[in-house]
Amino acid sequence: MANEEAIKSELTGKFVFLADKIVIKRERRIFADVPQAHFREVFEHAAKKMDFVHLCIITGLDDGDNLLFIYHLSKMDGTTLNLKTTVPKSNPVIKTITDIFPGGVIYERELIDLLGAKVEGIPPGKRYPLPDNWPANQYPLRKDWNPSMLEGKDGRKEEVKNG
Amino acid sequence: MAKVTIPIGPQHPALKEPESFIVTLNGEKITNLDMRLGYNHRGIEKACEARTYVQDVYLIERVCGICSHSHSTCFVQAVEEIAGLQIPSRATYIRTLIAELERIHSHLLWLGVAGHEIGFDTLLMYTWRDREAVMDTFAALTGNRVNYGMNTIGGVRRDFTKEQLADVLKVIDICEERTKYYIEVCTQEPTVINRLSGVGYLSHEDAMRLGTIGPTGRASAVDKDVRRDDPYLAYKDLSFNVITDTHNDVFGRAVVRVLELMECYKMVREIIARMPDGPVTVKAPRKIPAGEAFSRYEAPRGEDTHFVKANGTDKPERVRVRAPTMANLQSVAKMLEDNNLADLPIAIAAIDPCFSCTDRMIGVKNAGGIKDTVRWDDLRNYSIKWYRQQGIDFTGLNKKMANRQE
Amino acid sequence: MSALLLILFLILEFLFLGFLGMAVEFIDRKLYARMQNRIGPPWFQPFADFVKLVAKEDIIPEEANPMMFKLMPVLALTAVFTAFLHIPLWDSTPLISFNGSVIVIVYLLTIPTLTFFLGGWHSTSLFSMIGAVRTLTQLFAYEVPLLLSVLAPAILAHTWSIEEMSEFYSKNPLFALTNAIGSIVAMIALQGKLERVPFDMPEAETEIVGGTFTEYSGRLLAMFRLAIDMETVVGASLIVAVFLPFGLHSGPLIGFVLYLAKILLVILLLALLRTVTARLRIEQMVVFCWKYLAPAALVQIIISLTLNWIIK
Repeated sequence: MANEEAIKSELTGKFVFLADKIVIKRERRIFADVPQAHFREVFEHAAKKMDFVHLCIITGLDDGDNLLFIYHLSKMDGTTLNLKTTVPKSNPVIKTITDIFPGGVIYERELIDLLGAKVEGIPPGKRYPLPDNWPANQYPLRKDWNPSMLEGKDGRKEEVKNG
Repeated sequence: MAKVTIPIGPQHPALKEPESFIVTLNGEKITNLDMRLGYNHRGIEKACEARTYVQDVYLIERVCGICSHSHSTCFVQAVEEIAGLQIPSRATYIRTLIAELERIHSHLLWLGVAGHEIGFDTLLMYTWRDREAVMDTFAALTGNRVNYGMNTIGGVRRDFTKEQLADVLKVIDICEERTKYYIEVCTQEPTVINRLSGVGYLSHEDAMRLGTIGPTGRASAVDKDVRRDDPYLAYKDLSFNVITDTHNDVFGRAVVRVLELMECYKMVREIIARMPDGPVTVKAPRKIPAGEAFSRYEAPRGEDTHFVKANGTDKPERVRVRAPTMANLQSVAKMLEDNNLADLPIAIAAIDPCFSCTDRMIGVKNAGGIKDTVRWDDLRNYSIKWYRQQGIDFTGLNKKMANRQE
Repeated sequence: MSALLLILFLILEFLFLGFLGMAVEFIDRKLYARMQNRIGPPWFQPFADFVKLVAKEDIIPEEANPMMFKLMPVLALTAVFTAFLHIPLWDSTPLISFNGSVIVIVYLLTIPTLTFFLGGWHSTSLFSMIGAVRTLTQLFAYEVPLLLSVLAPAILAHTWSIEEMSEFYSKNPLFALTNAIGSIVAMIALQGKLERVPFDMPEAETEIVGGTFTEYSGRLLAMFRLAIDMETVVGASLIVAVFLPFGLHSGPLIGFVLYLAKILLVILLLALLRTVTARLRIEQMVVFCWKYLAPAALVQIIISLTLNWIIK
């Protein structure tokens, strides 16, 4: 576990506010809570200076009043750093990480479609994964959403009738 | 020939699942590729939140038909980590055995598909014949050819007898011999080499930047394999080589896969030789304590990751699935730059795409039970309209092309 | 009366060619399947396919030119059949014979390819058009080697009539052996003409769906497929007549059996070629044809010229 401890102490040394926010769950699994204001610098430091060269995935989840995002980063040796950050549902704005990991664009698009996050600076492109005529303000992965909210608002049905 | 935009998908013979690649061609050269994914969304992640953990194991298993064991193992690993369950070592070995057999059948499948995409149907017929033997082994071991239903929280659901394992070894011997022949075919047959080498080039830097994983990444010298880097199941005890290649093209991807097959045979023999005795399951609680776990697994197509968050009830708070294809799809656009139309099917096939895995979440349409039949004409009008929105107007474009030609 | 008899005879001959074409398709498919470890279709499969297609509705795309769209399959059939009339079967004498018939046969065999192109082009589907352009590109690649390889034996035999050529070689069978290179070139070019693996880019289903024939259905598609089957027979017969004119004067029955055996040999070789290769890319095919096939055909011509000079 020396390796994990070293990563922990490097992060806490560099970022004081992370002092009691880093948890080593088990071998090769480090979880850290990062305040949204400092998220970008911590993320950039981990990705560029600490050899966390691979973005496994971004998990987004509905945490009551907030949206919680977990960025799962991994090193080539298998150590995983899971950076968590929260934003309020009323203003769910995060910054894009596609400048560091261009491949992460699809995960960010999922957050936009399924959780209603607003990602600043995401490159233009087609939406993913919902259909083009999905009604606005329907975010399926939010806890208060259920399929019955779609009834009568199905864009495609109307289109077929008109077409 | 003037510039043409042709739709590869959502329905196209080259794609086994619906996804849309809209290709702009200049003669035979690809100048632009526009991807639209998401046709296979089934709402699995949302559905998981409404079901118990045991039900979820079976639901997750159906994320993908080919790597079903990968997804369910990855999921139960996460749940067991949260619950603090230590599963018996015989169970880990059985899971590993199924995992490696699954890799064999998946790679053989890929080899056949690759052969078909380049018009070499003989390779398809040969490899799929051998894949049948592996599938039959699965049927004999687990009762099913796909979706084996082996995993349960706390272990596996079936134990194997010595005779069953001996039969597996026989099949492995046959497959190994045949695979040696396929290695020769892939690396020596001139038309195959012509069609594979130099196609779908992805440099090491691009592969790292785009987060390419699995055999696709390893063919660009990305030395990453979760089995070795982040050992799970019984992989700590097994000896195997991680195959990498520096061709950076489809040929390299084929080489990595066929050589990986040889490693798989070695590992299956080792697993069976070292299989410990004992129980295959421990009792798991119905309610999983609150907590979270991030689980990684090397599926045949690359790294599969699951994130599970538990809230103390018998249903998970959040399940997040990332199938390997999702990470690899980003590199397809890069690979296809300046390639020929003829290379598009094989370049896409070379990442061994599984779009069902990639799209797993939402798409609950008319869940309220609306009965609505769409008539043929409506459907046709809808499709014409849809393509027009994508910038493809068959009628207008054809007229334009005809005019230009005159 | 004699005109009526001639028409009757032509109809019979057409039926015979159609039957032979389908039989050859069955043999080809069966061989292909057996070499791939499959069981393959039953003997009546090509007939069943044909009957089923004929019974189906013809769908003509709204944007297509209906006249051209319907005319092309008929034209393909006619051209192939006309070519067949010029080729000797069990004897050295074909139905129509004149000096220059070799050239006529080769050019009549080009017409089906052109009809594929025009049919694909006029069906105005994107996939058909790409297939059509590929058909034409391919034509330019294999046509010259094919012509050159047939030219070489003609030079040696000092004639442009296929009848006299057969006659010459059946009298001097040793000379036929000198045409080995030419026969291989002709066989490969024929594979290209028939658009089969490794030269099936115009119909590469994984790239452009059905290629040239994407929009064709029903009777029209059945005609095209029949034309391809017949083209296989005619192409094989041409190779047999030019390169394998052995045992020609042994009576109609034995001659006919010999003819069938020789055609079968050609079909076997063509099926083998498509079993062991992958589909090439269009530009790879053009390069292959001009870099290897055309020079090989030229070598054959040089051999023939040298022999001519020696004999003199």
